[in-house]
Amino acid sequence: MVEGIRNKTLALMLFSSPYRSQYADHLCRIAEKAMEKGYNVEIFLYGDGVHAQMNNQTPKTFFNVGESLKRLAEKGALIKSCLICSQARGYIEGDFDEKLGKYPSSKALNTVEFCTIYGFVDMILKADKLLTFGSS
Amino acid sequence: MKKIVIEISHPPYGHENAYSGFFVALGSLPKGVDTIVILTGEGVYAARRGQVDPPKNINLPSTEEQVNDIINLGGRVIADKQALLVRGIHDEELIEGIEVLNPNEIQDIILNHGEHILTF
Repeated sequence: MVEGIRNKTLALMLFSSPYRSQYADHLCRIAEKAMEKGYNVEIFLYGDGVHAQMNNQTPKTFFNVGESLKRLAEKGALIKSCLICSQARGYIEGDFDEKLGKYPSSKALNTVEFCTIYGFVDMILKADKLLTFGSS
Repeated sequence: MKKIVIEISHPPYGHENAYSGFFVALGSLPKGVDTIVILTGEGVYAARRGQVDPPKNINLPSTEEQVNDIINLGGRVIADKQALLVRGIHDEELIEGIEVLNPNEIQDIILNHGEHILTF
């Protein structure tokens, strides 16, 4: 824990899919390091970035983005994903389930929380720092 | 009040970037976020008026409508003068309300206003 970092929030936005580029890897590695240093980490998956939420990623040699996101969530990182982007790419399998309190998705990591753009704006409002990855 | 700068450097329609950047602005303004969108590089193509019904023609949202909505909600949309110049886009071809600034002025805005900067 680094003095002065406790209770600071780092927000990270991912806009590109994993494996085609290393943006997702960089985001995950920075998130892991930031959490080690004491940051609260919040991640927003946007556009093609939502593919990082896919279950059962098994890259042979590449950094496993899905496993990294799972580890980050276990350590307390909040991972939100754009609802409209996820619907467009087939991750959402129906309407909001009132009983479960979430949108059904067998394809996405179950730690991911689907939200509208307002959920991302709330993340920005809370953040002390914001970094965006994968827009180029 | 939180201040954000959204920089868009991709052209509309060929990529999802411009649309997604404007969409963040449209989510930020109703929540009281002081929002400035800066169009640089090929992003300046989104500043052109007279985009013809993209939802009907190519099933994509109209970035012209998004720009109008942002300006109507009180946001600022700025286009890079140099990026316009080299692409032969003249001021009279721009959507009403878009500000044209030179790169130095844009840098000042990023430095002074960019509490959070999002790039698309």
